[in-house]
Amino acid sequence: MSGSERIPLSRREGGSKVLPELASILYQFGTNAAFLLLSALGLIVILGMMNIINLAHGEFMMLGAYVASFAVHRGIPFPLAVILAFFATGAFGIVLERLVIRRFYGRELGALVTTWGISLILAQGALLLFGPYMPPIPIPGGAVSEGVFSFSVYWLILIGISIVLVVALTLVYRATPFGLQARATMQNPSIARSLGIRTGRVYMLTFGLGAGLAGLSGALLAPATSIAPFMGQQFVAPAFITVVVGGGANVIAGAVGSSTFLSLIETPVSLTLGTFYGTMALLVMALLIIRVLPAGISSLGARLRPAVAR
Amino acid sequence: MMRMLQLLNGPHDLGRGRGFWSGMVLLAAAFLAYPTIASSFSATNVAYYLLNIPMALGLSLLWGYGGVLSFGQVAFYGIAGYTYGIVAGNLQDFAWGTEAGVLAALLAAGLSAAAFGYFLFYGRVAAWIVPILTLVLALLLATFLGLTAGYQWRVGDIQLGGYNGMTGIPALQIGGLTFQDYAFFYLVVAIVAICYVALRIWVNAHRGQVLMAIREDVLRTELLGYDVRLEQLRVFVIASVLAGVSGLLYVQWGNYITPSAMGLQQAALPVIWVAVGGRDSLLAVAIATFLLNQLTYILSSGGNQSALVIVGALLVAVMMFAPEGIIAGLGRLHWLHWLRARRRAVPSGPASSGK
Amino acid sequence: MVNDAMVNDAMVTGGGGPVLKAERLCKRFGGVVASDQIDFNLERGEMRCVIGPNGAGKSTFFALLCGILPPDSGRVILKGRDVTHLPAFRRVRMGLGLTFQTNRAFHALTVAENLETARRASASASGAADDAHFRAAFGAFDLAASSHLPARELPHHQLQWLEICMALRRGPDVLLLDEPTAGMSPGETMYTADVLKTLSREGLALIVVEHDVAFVRKVAETVTVLHQGSVFAEGPVEVITQREDVRQIYLGRTREAAA
Repeated sequence: MSGSERIPLSRREGGSKVLPELASILYQFGTNAAFLLLSALGLIVILGMMNIINLAHGEFMMLGAYVASFAVHRGIPFPLAVILAFFATGAFGIVLERLVIRRFYGRELGALVTTWGISLILAQGALLLFGPYMPPIPIPGGAVSEGVFSFSVYWLILIGISIVLVVALTLVYRATPFGLQARATMQNPSIARSLGIRTGRVYMLTFGLGAGLAGLSGALLAPATSIAPFMGQQFVAPAFITVVVGGGANVIAGAVGSSTFLSLIETPVSLTLGTFYGTMALLVMALLIIRVLPAGISSLGARLRPAVAR
Repeated sequence: MMRMLQLLNGPHDLGRGRGFWSGMVLLAAAFLAYPTIASSFSATNVAYYLLNIPMALGLSLLWGYGGVLSFGQVAFYGIAGYTYGIVAGNLQDFAWGTEAGVLAALLAAGLSAAAFGYFLFYGRVAAWIVPILTLVLALLLATFLGLTAGYQWRVGDIQLGGYNGMTGIPALQIGGLTFQDYAFFYLVVAIVAICYVALRIWVNAHRGQVLMAIREDVLRTELLGYDVRLEQLRVFVIASVLAGVSGLLYVQWGNYITPSAMGLQQAALPVIWVAVGGRDSLLAVAIATFLLNQLTYILSSGGNQSALVIVGALLVAVMMFAPEGIIAGLGRLHWLHWLRARRRAVPSGPASSGK
Repeated sequence: MVNDAMVNDAMVTGGGGPVLKAERLCKRFGGVVASDQIDFNLERGEMRCVIGPNGAGKSTFFALLCGILPPDSGRVILKGRDVTHLPAFRRVRMGLGLTFQTNRAFHALTVAENLETARRASASASGAADDAHFRAAFGAFDLAASSHLPARELPHHQLQWLEICMALRRGPDVLLLDEPTAGMSPGETMYTADVLKTLSREGLALIVVEHDVAFVRKVAETVTVLHQGSVFAEGPVEVITQREDVRQIYLGRTREAAA
């Protein structure tokens, strides 16, 4: 259910050096955090901007993986296939927003239930259309050895891509006209509308962006998993827990903070007890966190600021 | 007693008055008479369509009346099913073994809901977090039970069985009576009737009004002196015990349970029954649960894989075009006509003309 | 759960002293000081108006008193007991009733059901004594005739009256009203003032946050003026409304806002 189970860390007996040991621990945290962040990114963009939880998120990831698998097996290089998955899933998200989702603004529970219906249709529909399995995508890159440890190049790239995605999203929201309009809409839709911002269009593009990010993550994680109609289910627990713990107050900071924090909890538990207990530890953490910080750790910043000002 | 009858006839569900209740009595009589014309096989099938109604009614109470949505009621369904299997299986040689199993199962469902719900409701989280975390709970339970294959995973004499599940679960026995075939059918009919009547009284009583007040406006209700967290936790536990009742009936029906009873697809079904029926009407939910269980049973027993696509599309369509539910919508339409006809017949008094 | 009746009895025998008291209440939002060292005393049976221009911190003060917001520092004392850390519903059970600035009766429920919801679950025939204020208001506001109507069908002023009756249903000792006459006609406003004055004379302590000066002149004995989060002035209504500095911050601003 997480990165560490697929890329086993080869650890030989004896002869440990401090530096590689440290690098190996960092690598474990990094892959788990990257996995959580990639699973949750599309979801948290849509939640933060539109206050809608997309329960079809896992199926959007499945769509991305399917598109990438199709593309790769028709000779398109993997990086291009990933970009194709982003745009294809994003376009699908935009169509879905226009047809269905836009009826549910302000009815968050209605949106939750409806997107669950959509997820059932997508998963079972994929099974009916394409059968139980898609051809797998080989993991790009090999492994590098550092002392007694070896690291998967692909997971190192994924850690890098997660950082790039976070920076890119920050730039989109801070430095582009769309980002400005989106932040205005998020703060107060009616005032934004009165200022001439087409909030409907902002919502449409945001949902498309969230769906596209889900597709992108699905494509990126596809080489590390089996590509199947119900593959979306494996992302449900980690993605939603990351979002619950992150909260919707500050989208990007929440996602980064929550995935980092949760990987700190998950990694040691997974390594000692197994991946299932790692995921279980995530749920327990989520329950404890909401008891103390109901609005997630992204509300922590807002809470601390007045104390600092004092 | 009179007060109870008044509450039963209260306004917070479809159908009131002598005509309606005569119809309900006729319906109950029809169910009771059904075994005289049906084989034990078809009676058991009908019992299967009925046995999920308590879980659906619980979700209706929670979501439709209380405004709190849960996607993980199957978790408590499964907890009750597995607990019954473990306790009743181990106590098979004792006269009261199965009764102890029932008690343990309902306690397990209620206590686990209370513990889980404490964190959800006392943290006062946003509305979407409750369904998400209950769903995660159900999925993780299913994953966990899937890992329990092998002899080392056993409680007493009973093996949990991994993905193949727990088999050979004994049927409920009271005295010399074993609830199988027709007896099981009557048991299900009786429990469904009791659940409906009890919940209808509950929603029309003071507690039910407080519940609806919370749905309308949480802060206002708190400032009338109610501990909203406690009220929500209470109704969550009730709904989960009702899910446990359905889980108990399910393991009586098939004498087995597998982790997929708590899987993602099973978790979606109660939400679909309640949404399609009309979440703020107990009666509509009960009817929809019966009909949709029949539909999915018939669809999937034909080996048809499109059942999930069909119910998923039904759910999306209902949420888009009839968010108040199909059966409740039809029922209200009918009731409106009936009321209008009555209003025309009886000229309205000065009170309703207002100021 | 705490037994409400027990708490009430203990409080009543506590006797004397102010029924509601705030000590050096502070609340900041980021850099904005919404409440700054507010001291406040309300005696039994007193009718107090809290006035102040927009942004003076009236709503924050109100929220601190009833427990919707926790204060950064300071204390709230209800009937002799420190309730600073008690959640709102416990304060209500101890004898605090309140209405909101915006109307928040349960619109889908009927008038009778709204009042039923506001009733204490355990209340039986023994609760007859604390019922007196409620019955007086219910009669004066003439809501019996519309008790079967859904609340959403009530005209605006009756909705406000319904909310006052709901707040009185548990038999509170203190009633907090946030702009109870907003949107009412002058006639309705004066009638509401009369009813509230009667309740006060019968022993109910009231705090009314108001904008309407005519209303304040009619009901209040003592007026508290809030300005920039702190108590700017406090005193008899005739004196306060004549003070030039009060006119400047309060009446002056309102004229601006109206323009």
